[in-house]
Amino acid sequence: MNHRRNEPADPLNLRSLPPVTSEHDAWPAIRNTLLHQRRRSRAWRFGGAALATAATLVLALTLTVNAPVPDTVSPNGPGTDDLLVAESGREAQSLPLQEPSVESLIAMSRQLEARVRQSRYRVGDLPVRQLVYQVELQDLIVQVDEGLSRNPESIELWSQRVNLLMDVVALYENNLRRDYYRMASV
Amino acid sequence: MSESPFDIELDEMTLARARRGDLDVCETIYRKYRHPAFSVAFRICRSRETAEEVTQEAFITAFRKIRQFRGDSPFWGWLRRVVVNHAISTIRRNDKTKTVTFEDYHAPTAGGQQQTGLAMDLEAALGMLSAQDRAVVWLHDVEGYNHREIAEAFGKTESFSKTRLSRARARLRELLEAGQNTLRASH
Repeated sequence: MNHRRNEPADPLNLRSLPPVTSEHDAWPAIRNTLLHQRRRSRAWRFGGAALATAATLVLALTLTVNAPVPDTVSPNGPGTDDLLVAESGREAQSLPLQEPSVESLIAMSRQLEARVRQSRYRVGDLPVRQLVYQVELQDLIVQVDEGLSRNPESIELWSQRVNLLMDVVALYENNLRRDYYRMASV
Repeated sequence: MSESPFDIELDEMTLARARRGDLDVCETIYRKYRHPAFSVAFRICRSRETAEEVTQEAFITAFRKIRQFRGDSPFWGWLRRVVVNHAISTIRRNDKTKTVTFEDYHAPTAGGQQQTGLAMDLEAALGMLSAQDRAVVWLHDVEGYNHREIAEAFGKTESFSKTRLSRARARLRELLEAGQNTLRASH
């Protein structure tokens, strides 16, 4: 504590004032709030993991559908590329049965970021209501990123990041769809 | 040694259980610190209702963030900082205060009427300070905060704290002196 040498710590003797107490018992309200927050965070975690698994499934199916299918089988039997394609297809089909790995979530997160950039370019400015929602989602992503800076291997946090990015993508793409229908109706 | 009313020890076992989210232990902690928490919130906010809200919010924040408490300083100091930060945010957001009533104060000793009278003078004088001046003088003189800590709590510079403290003390002296002169004149 820094007090000037010639001045007492409490020159006006404020410490002599009696303590002020309250009979109000805030514990029930505090308890309810803590329990509510705990339930929400549990639901968020559970939802996060489920959505991340769903996202992995979608990604795996996309990879399978987009994988080039050989028209004819080479007379020398399947080549290395064909084997790789067949292998990746099998791998992709088996992915949804596994827990998402940090690597797969990071890859998804990158793909979704790229998709957000593309959508942002295509859609341009969002209407105010969606913009507010988008800013909220971005704030949540920043919070998740803070958590990831401390714990970069957390599957839970990467799942949350993927889910939030999926929400941002959906926001832009729904807006694009709405614009398309509006144009079509004109 | 600190003389803060907050200075109540908490054992490591209780703290560890609170960190794990044990609500029964959280209740014990609340009951242990609720009065000093309310007292400091009231001294800063000057309204029972607001101080009750501040105390409640501060405990919710503290229990949510208890894992962030590193344990390199006493728990009570950390908890007090949470309460003070909530109270300061509140006065900065809303500078409304309520008039303090006699029922809010109790003489510390039975039959201490003269002491109660002095306390009332000091209370009344404190009540006449601006919210920020009152918070600074209380945190410095009673809670033992230094200027750096006060500056951090307000998000200002140390010179803000020094200026406010000196102004608050001067104003309190003026008010107390004026009160005593009025009392002398009435006798």
